[in-house]
This record gives sequence, C-alpha cells and structure tokens, in this order.
Amino acid sequence: MAELEVRNLTKRYGRTVAVDDLSFEVHAGRVTGFLGPNGAGKTTTMRALLGLLRPTRGEALVDGQPPVQMTDPLRTIGAALEATAFHPGRSGRAHLRVLASAARIPMSRVEEVLELVELSGAAGRRVGGYSLGMRQRLALAAALLGEPRTLILDEPANGLDPQGMRWLRDLLRAQAAEGRTVLVSSHVLSEVAQTADELILIRGGKLVSQTTLAEFTAADAGWVRVRAVRLDELARGLGEGKATVRRDEEGALLVEGASAEEIGELALSLGIALHELAPQRSSLEERFLEVMGEESETPPAEGEAGA
Amino acid sequence: MNLLRSEWIKLWSVRTTWVMLGIGLLAEALFAGLYVGFAPLEEIGQLEDTMTGVGLLLVLVLVLGVLVVTAEFRHGTASSTFLVTPRRWPVLVAKLAATFGVGLLAGLAFVLVNGGLALPLLSSRGGSLPSASDAASVYAGVVVSLGLICAFGFGIGAVVRNQVAAIIAAIAALFIVSALPELLPGSVGDYFPAQAIGSLHGSSEGDGSLGQVAGGLVLTAWTLGLFAIGTVLVCRRDVGE
Repeated sequence: MAELEVRNLTKRYGRTVAVDDLSFEVHAGRVTGFLGPNGAGKTTTMRALLGLLRPTRGEALVDGQPPVQMTDPLRTIGAALEATAFHPGRSGRAHLRVLASAARIPMSRVEEVLELVELSGAAGRRVGGYSLGMRQRLALAAALLGEPRTLILDEPANGLDPQGMRWLRDLLRAQAAEGRTVLVSSHVLSEVAQTADELILIRGGKLVSQTTLAEFTAADAGWVRVRAVRLDELARGLGEGKATVRRDEEGALLVEGASAEEIGELALSLGIALHELAPQRSSLEERFLEVMGEESETPPAEGEAGA
Repeated sequence: MNLLRSEWIKLWSVRTTWVMLGIGLLAEALFAGLYVGFAPLEEIGQLEDTMTGVGLLLVLVLVLGVLVVTAEFRHGTASSTFLVTPRRWPVLVAKLAATFGVGLLAGLAFVLVNGGLALPLLSSRGGSLPSASDAASVYAGVVVSLGLICAFGFGIGAVVRNQVAAIIAAIAALFIVSALPELLPGSVGDYFPAQAIGSLHGSSEGDGSLGQVAGGLVLTAWTLGLFAIGTVLVCRRDVGE
C-alpha cells in the first residue's frame, strides 16, 4: 500500500479546474519531488491529501484512508504548507504550543523542534517580525512536531539561504533514510534534484510524468539545433515524421526525436542549405522546462508540431 | 479537553485578548468611578446605574469572540488547526467553550472592578447600597451575558468568516437589529439578542422584560443556532486558497 495515494483527483473552483483527474502514489523511504510550474495544482493536491479541501471527484488517501479518518494526525502526517500561515502576533513558541497541546504532545517536544530548526533564540519573539527563512523553519518545526511517518512540504526551500537549503536537504534525506515518506513540492527542479529519488511532474492540474530522478535524467535523448534557409519548410518536413520541433529565442530550430543524420538527409532531399546542425544535450533544468512546456515564447503553431 | 487547552493558549498568546479586555475593564473603572464619584446621588438608583462600562465591555468581548474564528482564516492558521484535528467539529466545540469561558472571565473581572471600586465609592458618598441578593442576581446576569455574547460573536464569525464583515455583522446584530423590535407588534422584540441581554441584566425598564432566566435562554438559543450553522459551514468549506 502506498503511504500517500491520489486517485483520479479532480478539484474545481467554479469554472477553473485546479487539479484534473490526477493519480499518483508516494512511497516510504524516499524523497518524492512534486514538481510543476506555479499554478499547476501542487498546493491544491497537497491540501486534498491533508483533508483541508474536498475533492470535486476522486480521492486523496493517507495510508489507504481518507485523511479525515486519521486517528493520530500529527504523528501520521506533518505538513508545512505556506510560510505565511501564522498569526503575526503570536510567538513562534506559542504557535507550536497551540499545536502540541491540541495533539497531546509534551511541551518538551516544542523545545526540541525549536532547537532542531535552530529557532530557539527567536522562539519568544512574535512571528510578525520573522524573516521568510525563519518562517519556513517554524513551519518545518510544526511539521516535525509529532515525529510523523509522512512529511508533506510545500515549497519549503522558498526564502532559505544556501546554507538553509543544504540543511533542509540533509534533513529530508535523513527523514527518508529513517523510512519516512517525504513529499516535497517545488517549481524549481534544481531545488529538489539533489534530494529527490522520485519525481512527480504536473502541469495544468494533470500528471505529466511520474519517474525516478535517474530515469528522468537518462530519458534525455538529446536534441539538435538547426539553422538553415527556409527553416519553416524544414520544420514542416520534420513535423511530418516523428520529430518534435520548436524554435529557440534566436529563431533556430530545436529538434527532438530525429538524429543529426536524419535531419541532414531530409534537408538535402528538400534542397535546403544547412547553416548549423548541432546535436545537444540539455541540462536537467532545461529538460524540466521542456517537459513542463514552459517554452511559452514559442508560438503554439510551431511548437510541438509533431506531438 | 486538549483542544480546549489549545484554544485557551491561542487566546492568551496574542496581545489582542489582553488589550481588549484591559480596555474594557479600565473603561469601567474610569466611567464608573467618574459617574459614581460625581453624579448626583439621587440619580444613582440601582446597581445597574454604576455599571456604565458594561456596554463597551460587551462590544469588546463580542468582537473578541468573532476574532477567535476569523483570525484563523485571515492568517491561515486554520490550516494547521485542522491538520492537527482533521475532524473539524470538535475544534468548533472547543472554541465555543473557550469563548464562553473568556466571556465569563471578563464578566468576573468586571464584577471585581465594579464591586471593588464603584460600590465602595458609592457607600463613601453615603449612597444606598443594593441588597446582597439584588447585587448577586445583577452580577450573575452580567457575567453570564458576557460569556454568552462572546460565544455569540464566535458563532457569527464561524458563519461569516471574513473578519471585517463578521465584526460589522456582529455589531449590527446587537445595535441595528435591536432598533427593529420597536416596530414589531407584541413581545416579539423581547426575543432579539440585545433585548435578551437587557433581560439578562435584570433591567425592568425599556428593553428586556423577559426576566433573567428567560433572557439567558433566549441568548443561549441565538448563540447555539449560530454555532450550529457556523459548524456546518466550517466543516463543509475548503480551508485555504
């Protein structure tokens, strides 16, 4: 059984579809990166997994059960949803005490997690005066309060300095190594690339792919940058085959799914002179943007012609 | 019980609670002191006349009750609250108990201020003190009305949820709607919240002629009605976004 499971989840707000028939599973013992551009439906999905909103259709399950049926929620799931969800007038320590007392967790644990996130010194101050990084750490402290088997963290790296990022990475890795389930969202792949074992990519509320980081990196077949006379004609020709064609910002063609040889031969048969034919491998980040379809500058007519 | 404790910590860990109750009690000390100290003795006929600050405290406690729920949605703490307790209605029951408790506490503090300041002052000027039984029943009414009005505010907050709208609605429910009964036939008006408070305070003139117990029951009914609607709404609605 998957620790977290989303099954045909759909969430509609009026006419907007935030999450659209999304299904995936998250397993224990590894860090799962939940990736997608802003507005992809990551937060909505996480809120559904936490029982904070009702799915329009489908379900979100924790240990095979709807989240509202959790018998010991804070020891089952710890979540850090947004770094702003604090009463500005309450101290960090009081915020944690409120949660601890509701969950029957001893107050000594509050001091422990404050120590853990290195916030002991500021714990007595009102959260209104905290920096974004401090709020992130307080949110994390709240998530860790019940030593939960599962962690759900929404963009936890926002506002952290490089040191903080590293600290967060180590923490998440340690949590996973202890056999816990870790689901961490981000809109920037590099934030989770060094941490995540598994990736769930969503866009427009839909699943783009669920893959391991290793597969994701390996799946990059590379692409070919092409400049030529009568580029449009060449693009059309390529589009008729299996290749995917788009334009980069300089107007060159980026071809995926056709080798340099194939492109050269096609150009010859069309009588098109090539000015550049350069096989490339994309970086992880480029690959991510590619999969996410964030090349929004490309006119749709030319993008994904062969898809 | 753990949820009530959590709500109790929530209430007292923000300055709002302290400031609002502090202002209410200071105002009573000041108003009552001035009035009892300087008004012509013959104007001070009843114990009620010495409680000049009770109206302000009622409003403050009402708003405090509203904030107990609207602040959670405004600042997004509702997410963590309902994360710890995914089944939401027990949280609302705890909030109901906490608001009632805070209101009662405010009422007791008010009685201390009034009894410890206004009455000795009155007696030092040679005024006639109310009988012990009269004082006890008026004070009891005040304490209970403050407890109920705080819970009443909480009920409105749960229904309306937007902080500003809820505060306006709560104040309107007491003051604007309370003008309506004069236009209504018979004793229908006695069952409005403001009139019920009047009855609860044992005032015999003007608003409130139901008697203390009936007034208390009417205000309780209003509070529980709002609480029921608010609970259904909070349990159904999504949290966040």
